[in-house]
Amino acid sequence: MAVTRERLTRALSPKAVAVIGDKQASGYTWLRSMKEFDGPLYSVQVDENEIPGIEELGVPNFKSLTDIPERIDFAVCAVPRQVAPFIVQSCVEADVGGVTLFTSGFAETGEDIGVELQDKIFEIADPAGLALIGPNCMGLHVPGLGVRFNRDQPAGIAGNIGFVSQSGTHGMNFSLTGAAHGLYCSTLVSFGNGIILEAADYLEYLADDPQTEVIGMYIEGARDGRRLFRTLREVAAKKPVIIWKGGQTEGGGRAIRSHTASLASDQAVWEAMIKQVGAVAVHNLDEMIDVVKATLLTKRTQGNRLGLIAMTGGQSVVLTDAFEKAGWKVPTLSDDSYAQLSEFFNIIGGSYRNPLDAAGTIGQDPKHLDTIFDILNADENIDAVGMELSATFMARRWQDKPEEFDRLINSIKKFRDESDKPFLAALHPSHVEEAALKARQRLQEENIPTFASFERAANALRKASGLAAV
Amino acid sequence: MSADVIAAARAESRTLLSEVEAKQLLADAGVSVTETRLAASADDAAAHAAELGYPVALKVVSDAITHKTDVGGVELGIADESALRDAWDAIHERVSAAAPSADLQGLSVQPMAEPGAEVILGITQDQQFGPVLMFGLGGVFVEVLKDVAFRIVPLEPRDAAEMVREIQGFPVLEGFRGTPAANLDAIESMLLQLSEFAEANPDVAELDLNPVFARPDGAVAVDARILLTAD
Repeated sequence: MAVTRERLTRALSPKAVAVIGDKQASGYTWLRSMKEFDGPLYSVQVDENEIPGIEELGVPNFKSLTDIPERIDFAVCAVPRQVAPFIVQSCVEADVGGVTLFTSGFAETGEDIGVELQDKIFEIADPAGLALIGPNCMGLHVPGLGVRFNRDQPAGIAGNIGFVSQSGTHGMNFSLTGAAHGLYCSTLVSFGNGIILEAADYLEYLADDPQTEVIGMYIEGARDGRRLFRTLREVAAKKPVIIWKGGQTEGGGRAIRSHTASLASDQAVWEAMIKQVGAVAVHNLDEMIDVVKATLLTKRTQGNRLGLIAMTGGQSVVLTDAFEKAGWKVPTLSDDSYAQLSEFFNIIGGSYRNPLDAAGTIGQDPKHLDTIFDILNADENIDAVGMELSATFMARRWQDKPEEFDRLINSIKKFRDESDKPFLAALHPSHVEEAALKARQRLQEENIPTFASFERAANALRKASGLAAV
Repeated sequence: MSADVIAAARAESRTLLSEVEAKQLLADAGVSVTETRLAASADDAAAHAAELGYPVALKVVSDAITHKTDVGGVELGIADESALRDAWDAIHERVSAAAPSADLQGLSVQPMAEPGAEVILGITQDQQFGPVLMFGLGGVFVEVLKDVAFRIVPLEPRDAAEMVREIQGFPVLEGFRGTPAANLDAIESMLLQLSEFAEANPDVAELDLNPVFARPDGAVAVDARILLTAD
């Protein structure tokens, strides 16, 4: 029986949560992670030695799910694999909405006993329509409700990124590193073996979830590739979807007698599929974060002509190289723009051809930055604006004179709010990493997208804009 | 009919279709291929060639031979009947030297197609996504540079258009150093036909149309190889 949308929604936005089988040896990690849950939290544990520790945490413990005086929408199950079918059965009896089976040791081991136990769990959960996540996974993270599987994950912040991950680690890393970049999930699911619910089910849910504006996915393989393909085609038509495909699937060892079959590597077919459905392919966590960030925080453009503001001549050159390599054009500005720039631009140690080497000019009078932004906004040769924020030169100064940094931020915000053209900034960590990090965080608070290198900025804006690589 | 060709191969426990069979399947599906007939004897070949019109090509047909050129099993541009009879003997001599144990079903006769840019179109079955289509330029582009594009079946017209333009060698199709521009619509139509063909024939495990001549006036598959699924 398929899991109904109602059941899935109940599980993924729970009002009451239970943790089954948490124990001292793991530091009660599940209960501690769930401590921020915005609703009643219960524990189920039969081991008398474990119960005092659980009660010390202030979590009421019951010997059985069915003893809990209210209906549980979402449960986390961290019991040994032999016990897992029994727990899943009790979830069905207690009308639990959904359960994360953190427990591993099933089909992924290749052992007969693992496969048998997994089949048994399927036989119990499937007819009941239980929203079973996993097994062999980290399960659910909904920051807005305080649902977490790691204590460093954010709570009390309702994000706008839906994330579906076959791997617990990559899902967790996205939620943690993403949060450090001001990117928060609406709903994140790590689904592991995905025996009942697989990637396509979560994608459909996120496509309809009003809180989710963009969807990220880490995937290694699909049980039903045809369904994933069809689902992605529908979902990517509604919301931006960014896919990180990990690993290579074995070819199956059959004799291949055509060019076509010999060239159709797993990698080639996945990349084609991602393109075909209108999603964006990324290849590591950094790129996932960059592209999600650019998708959420920059406006869309059909054009590929960039106006660049740099702080030195050398950076002007490599900034241009980085963006042109990624398929952007850095054209000359309009005559009108040059006429205006010639009136105030400091060309001693600077230049305004494009990129605009503008440190001296802005240093002379910070208002000049507003004028430069106005000129680039009006210039019809320019579709988007990128800026080098040089931590090397500026971060210490920003630290000493925060009002200068505030003025810079205000200029950027004014441009961003008034212009239809996307804006992004590159902020290298440089030698003053701590100061640069503070600057980044301050920019993040204002939803100004920064990237750790020119290349990453150029790539992120290209992928977010759906522009083809040159 | 399609079913007959596949059923015949199944009855003989063959998974590799001959060029003649493959082209018949494709022609039935409306895919443009050079008309290709099986000849059991030189007289037979001469009769076919007279009907199809010279110049013609002769190619060896054998289950045991996957790469016909490697065993000297191909003669192109045969101008008339006497050349045809010479070519018949020459192919038999070379093949029996290179592959003495190979059973020959005969030789195929087909008219020489007017050349164009050489492209390859193919089908394969992906373990996860099912039928997948490939497009690329033929020869060194596909074999050495692996400059090809893939899409999952079924293709929409937009997918076919993107595939053709996605390969690095695309400028060659727009006309390059004396090669006239290829008819892109014809290539895209052929891709869409193959998408339907793949959906209609789940028995087809692998297909290569290599080469397809892409000319200003259309596209035609000159060689075709089809491998059926194991069961």
